[in-house]
Amino acid sequence: MVNDLGQLFTIEGVAASMIMLFTTYLVLGATTVYTPGDSHISDMQLEQIGTDALNMMNTPSNCTSTSCVSTLQQIVSETDTNLSAANSTFNMIFLNYVNNRTESMSDNLHYEANITFRDTTDGPNSTTISSYYLASNRNLNGVEHPVRVTEWVIIGPPNFPGIILPPGAHYIAQPRAVLVEVLLWRD
Amino acid sequence: MIDDAGNLSIDFLVGFTIFMITLIYVATLIPTLFIGLKSNSIDYDAVAYRTGVILAEDPGMPYNPSWETLPNTSDSDILRFGLALSKDTPNILTPEKITRFFCTSEFVYPSDYQTRAVFGDYPYQFNISLQMAGSNVTQSIGDVLPDQDYGYSRRVIKVKEHSNATLDFSNFNVISGQPASNLPLGIYTQNATNQAFSVYFNYSYLLTSGPGYNNLAYQINPLAPSGANGIIGGEGALINLTGLQYLPQNTGGVDTTVNLSSISIYKSQSEAPIGTGQLPFVGPELNSTNPTQFLLYIDGNTTPVTQLPYPVGSNISLFIPPGLLSFMGGGDSSTLLNITMQFNLTDGNGNPQSDWYLNSTQVMPDGAFEYNYTNPNITQPQLVDGVMDVAVW
Repeated sequence: MVNDLGQLFTIEGVAASMIMLFTTYLVLGATTVYTPGDSHISDMQLEQIGTDALNMMNTPSNCTSTSCVSTLQQIVSETDTNLSAANSTFNMIFLNYVNNRTESMSDNLHYEANITFRDTTDGPNSTTISSYYLASNRNLNGVEHPVRVTEWVIIGPPNFPGIILPPGAHYIAQPRAVLVEVLLWRD
Repeated sequence: MIDDAGNLSIDFLVGFTIFMITLIYVATLIPTLFIGLKSNSIDYDAVAYRTGVILAEDPGMPYNPSWETLPNTSDSDILRFGLALSKDTPNILTPEKITRFFCTSEFVYPSDYQTRAVFGDYPYQFNISLQMAGSNVTQSIGDVLPDQDYGYSRRVIKVKEHSNATLDFSNFNVISGQPASNLPLGIYTQNATNQAFSVYFNYSYLLTSGPGYNNLAYQINPLAPSGANGIIGGEGALINLTGLQYLPQNTGGVDTTVNLSSISIYKSQSEAPIGTGQLPFVGPELNSTNPTQFLLYIDGNTTPVTQLPYPVGSNISLFIPPGLLSFMGGGDSSTLLNITMQFNLTDGNGNPQSDWYLNSTQVMPDGAFEYNYTNPNITQPQLVDGVMDVAVW
């Protein structure tokens, strides 16, 4: 007996297979395969630029036999006495370093910087660690993917917070190691 | 009898055909799914990073004598380009290495750079560019940058500018025919027909007493890097004498004509200072009336003077080129070097006429203008900001 059952099944099968195939193609084609290697590269490039910038900021442009102070040392020292001036100086110089390119169009990086140090306000043997805001050109709101770069800065005595000689203290103020930490990201 | 056996066979054929077409289609589709995993872009970034590190942090090979001091005929001896001052001063570059590296008339793109800076078996194309802060001039080597799909590395750098000395006599109020006591370093204390101005380099002092804990970046280093063939490479020094027309040159109402008659180099390895009765300097090693070892500019002329004597009006710029100090030192860090400019004073008829003029022989303690780290007339080496981009594709 002849009927059309088989014919119907075939047409439905073809239609279904085409739909499934097209769907599969759309789904797979729309997926971006973002490998760990790729993110590592862009992170590495940002870290490279940030590390270079902090390193060069911490390298004095010139030295004499009596003075050899880097821009970053001056800025960190100034945070104790004039935070807004230190903020604007750091902002201008750091952005110049990280955004300058040899091409005509500069880069568009953003940052947030903090400093961390051993706070000896309570006395020379204090182990308190203090950290506070240094500068930024944009707030980090959680959507960005920043990298972290750091630079140790040696600040000569006595110009840094926390160095208060208690009465009768007999220690000599020594150079302080201050950690400058920058979170750096690209739009 | 009619049955549906044939229909089943057709169904099978249709189904199998669809299956095969699908299989073939999927098989060809699969490689394109992994297009994001291809290694080219990752490789480009890695090569750009490596090239950036080599250029910014490595002094190159050979190091001593340094590659940038080798003559053009020895390009095959250059194994690796590196622009850093030394391996201990990453990101601090020297102008001599930068100039030689970007010399496109000497090195051929891409072959010379692929084998000495980019490396790798794959014939990468690349663009390396460098720009100083505040400058619109970009030095570059390589192809035009593509719109996308290239690896890059950007390095923040500083370039060491060498020291120079400027003695300006225009601000001193001196009276014709009279000595003056307020000129820098006691210069100008003789009334004679022949005057001498000496510059004194104490290599041992310069090599051990540099600022910043004797950091190479701030050091006036007369020996390093040692140059090949003596005369190229190493650090140079620039001595500017300006405002010379303000020195009295009118003794007795007769104008004095000043001629720079020769430039001499005296050398010693002893520590005997001038003025102690001993003779620390022997020679001259060089007594030149055709000072082609130097670049000598007089009165603002842009063409170097190559034949002495030469009349002097307002200023003298004596550039001791990179490598001459190194060559004269011969690798000996105890060298004392004295470069002396001899001046001959005459009247309008060419007859000797004594006058008070530039003279350093009474300067204490060495009878010379000492090129050192403390003299306020000397601009110490400076580090100037810049940026270097490396793109590879």
